Amino acid sequence: MNPAFLSLIITAAAIPVGIRWRKASYSLVIAGSIVLAVFTLLGSGDLAYPLSYFSLIAAIAWILISVFSMTYSSGYGKWLTPLFAMTVLGMMVILESSDYVTFIIGWEIMSTPAYASIGLNKEHWNAAYVFMVFSEISTVFLIIGAILAVQETGTLDFRFQSLTSDLPLLLIAIGCMTKMGITPFMISEWLPIAHGNAPANDSALFSATMTLMGVFGIVRVMLLSPPSLYLGFFLLAVGVLTVFFAALFAYVSENMKMLGGFSTIENNGSILAAIGLYVALDGSVLKTYLLSVILIFALAHSVAKTGLFIGIGTTRKENFSEIESRKSSTMTVGWFLVTMSLSGLLPTIGGLGTWMLLESFFMGAYQYGLIGIASVVAGSMIALAEGLASASMMKVLSFTQVHGRPGGSMKSIEGYVLFATGSVLVLLFVLANFLVRPQFISGLPSVLVYNGFTIQSRFSAADFGLISPLYVLAIITIFAALAYMIFDRRGGEPRVVPRWNGGVDFDQYYTSFAYASNIRLMLKGILRTRMRDGNRQMSVVDVFWYAMQSFASGYRRFARQFAYRVMNSSITWYMIYMITAFMLVLILAFVI
Amino acid sequence: MQYYKTTRGGGRYIGQTRNFTVYSDSIVPPIRVEKKPSEILPGELIFNYGPSTGGLIESVRIALPTPGEMIRSVAVDPAYKLRKLKLTGLSLFDAFMRVERINGYHSSSYQAAFIKAAEDALLIGDNRGIDDGLVLQMELERIRSHLNVLERLCEPAGFGVPYHQLAQMREEVARLISSIYGHRYFFGVHASLQSSPKISPGLTATANGLKKRFALLFESLQSSKIFVNRLQGTGKIEKPWLVGPVARAAGYRHDARTDSPSLNYEGYGFDPVVEDGKDAFARFLVRGNEILSSFAIVDQVISNGKPESAGLKDMHGTGIGASRVESPQGDLFCYLTLKDGMVENIEFCSPSISNIIAFELSMQGNIFTDFHFNWESFGIWISEAGVEIE
Repeated sequence: MNPAFLSLIITAAAIPVGIRWRKASYSLVIAGSIVLAVFTLLGSGDLAYPLSYFSLIAAIAWILISVFSMTYSSGYGKWLTPLFAMTVLGMMVILESSDYVTFIIGWEIMSTPAYASIGLNKEHWNAAYVFMVFSEISTVFLIIGAILAVQETGTLDFRFQSLTSDLPLLLIAIGCMTKMGITPFMISEWLPIAHGNAPANDSALFSATMTLMGVFGIVRVMLLSPPSLYLGFFLLAVGVLTVFFAALFAYVSENMKMLGGFSTIENNGSILAAIGLYVALDGSVLKTYLLSVILIFALAHSVAKTGLFIGIGTTRKENFSEIESRKSSTMTVGWFLVTMSLSGLLPTIGGLGTWMLLESFFMGAYQYGLIGIASVVAGSMIALAEGLASASMMKVLSFTQVHGRPGGSMKSIEGYVLFATGSVLVLLFVLANFLVRPQFISGLPSVLVYNGFTIQSRFSAADFGLISPLYVLAIITIFAALAYMIFDRRGGEPRVVPRWNGGVDFDQYYTSFAYASNIRLMLKGILRTRMRDGNRQMSVVDVFWYAMQSFASGYRRFARQFAYRVMNSSITWYMIYMITAFMLVLILAFVI
Repeated sequence: MQYYKTTRGGGRYIGQTRNFTVYSDSIVPPIRVEKKPSEILPGELIFNYGPSTGGLIESVRIALPTPGEMIRSVAVDPAYKLRKLKLTGLSLFDAFMRVERINGYHSSSYQAAFIKAAEDALLIGDNRGIDDGLVLQMELERIRSHLNVLERLCEPAGFGVPYHQLAQMREEVARLISSIYGHRYFFGVHASLQSSPKISPGLTATANGLKKRFALLFESLQSSKIFVNRLQGTGKIEKPWLVGPVARAAGYRHDARTDSPSLNYEGYGFDPVVEDGKDAFARFLVRGNEILSSFAIVDQVISNGKPESAGLKDMHGTGIGASRVESPQGDLFCYLTLKDGMVENIEFCSPSISNIIAFELSMQGNIFTDFHFNWESFGIWISEAGVEIE
């Protein structure tokens, strides 16, 4: 038996236990995750790089979320815990799968309890349905992709095998993209999280690890598929579009979980863009480098997103405007590090991931031709979106830790979990050298940066860029400590200056909504900013969801009119319709 | 009252006093309008501006409910620092000394409104020959006031050179006024018969020199795209009740110089300057062109000979009078009741009240960066809006 199956057994046991003993169930999930992480580190998995590391990434996230859930989930009834454990089990099945059937079974085990969890905690009736509809759409694409992949082998062997066509990858990628909330399916990510009133631990689970399964699915088949310029460009274009729109929507989101959801979509878009470049390239150093980029970025996203939703959970609120300021040093540090990572800033793993990602696209420019042009455009768009992402995270940090009316209380353990998550992000940054392929590890002994401490970006023999995480952390720490020692002359006593408000009493607080209104106004064409909509002065819409809704309602109107006017009790027209539909199905079946 | 009816005529709306609704040809009982406090929508905040802050030269509190960037509505409170002036029970002369201090920067307009209301109350005709003198005062005041507004428009735009050039011209006009009347704000001009204006031989040349310099600067400002872009489309408003340059910038020919019998402007060939842009730029154009037309009127008054002062100490009697003059901000109305030469009741309808309402409406939907341009383009004076006359 594969020792990693032990993690499946332990996690499966957490499901019945969770109905009665909540904390014991989360402890079992933690134990299962630790087992999975340990066996991954020991190299028990037979998966190729970087697939084996996805288990490690997911395990880190599950451990952190489970510890947080022990205190957080007490007010959500007896079903939240077993459904949580079952969702984790589904993901473990996906990660351990070696064939398409097991993969799809895991996919369904993951999705169904998540649907139930959203339904049980619903705020709006449609959130759970939207989640399930898009989940099933993704499953349909996965099944078709799997059938085509197996068909290539000419046998009934459903194991993952090398492919000669890029069509299975295209279909499986669309299936996974649906789950990842990639454009135009962004609704599938943010709606269940934001409007489904999903508990924060579920939000973290969905955003940090469920979407990771989408990345895993694409990478799984990508490694088996041949290079494809057009498919690569398609994935690259969709990824870049997603990064830009998701960063934009995150910035203007007033609902904290919706912001987190869009941040997830933005991260997934970045990963998809890297995947696109990988698929488009045909055998180069850059292609190998991109595997490390995908891994590091996925790691950064999953752990930081876990932290983001844990932080949001500690507020016990949905919107920024409802937050009461809760001061805690550990929590503030945790928030700071998590938002730093999601902003793509050093010294966190998110900063490294963003650096590596942008380096990839700027190196892609040296591939010249279409790939060169596409890389430069994509890199520029991602850099632009990263700016918006940083602004979103500053909004989160500001309105959870700086602004807001004083008051409220929190459980200290949740603050420590957030602090631990932030610390993990820094720790992973320092240890990133062990996650990157050895051929990109070097040093500069002439300037006292010894071999093994530097990560290279390169597309040929010579390096393109260098970063040394440990040295970066050391320099930041030393200079920060020096600045503190030299300039903190008041012995830690804060200097408080009364606010001047034009000569009148201070009774107003800056709002998070106002923070983002500059973009609402400047990009009103894209965001479809509407004035005095409902009880808000300004509101924006997810244009893709709006387009889908318009299309669906238009089609429904057309179908109704068609039925009333043409097919109404007319056996002739009904027969024509049936014959035409039958022929179309036959033609489609033949073509596919 | 010789000119105003007490039943509603067909004249345009001017504004409200304490006890009257004022139209251009009549005064009727007041319309009471309760101002609703602005509601705060979700996500909004009230950005407080003033009463003590940079960018404003008078004390005024402005509350700006905003969802961020865009100003949804504006509430100006000119009475935050309310001044009280007691005028009732005073002699005409003593009351005059206070009236000219209601808005010191535009004392001439208040002097003219008060004197003409007193003449109306005492049934004194315009045969004393003081209208030319009042016209000269008011047009010089208009030039200085409009220069001040244009100067204030240049400041937020960061146009340092024209800002200081306009400031210098304004100072030169003030010194010109001082050389004619002995006081740069016209204080005490009509206090005694001895204080007649001193028209020096070089006055016309000085005024013409100023006019030429201003015309050049005015033209160059209009050719600056950066400056024009700041003003164009900012603070648009078009309402039939607008007064003064704000009305004329919205295409209305409202001007007390042509539709009020209080002060005689006939014979100067004056025609109101009208623009149709409705925005801050149109208000800028109206004011700039009015400076040029005021210079032309000043030139004519000086050419006609030495103007006379009013001589208030000689005015006694009982009666009710009303007057309306065109101050630099718009229609200034004065209602006056005299009993045995003593002020029994006095009410003013100042144009800044109307302009504040217009400003509040025009600011809706604009963004913060437009605030100063728009505020300055209305030429609002809090001193005449935030005052309670007793």
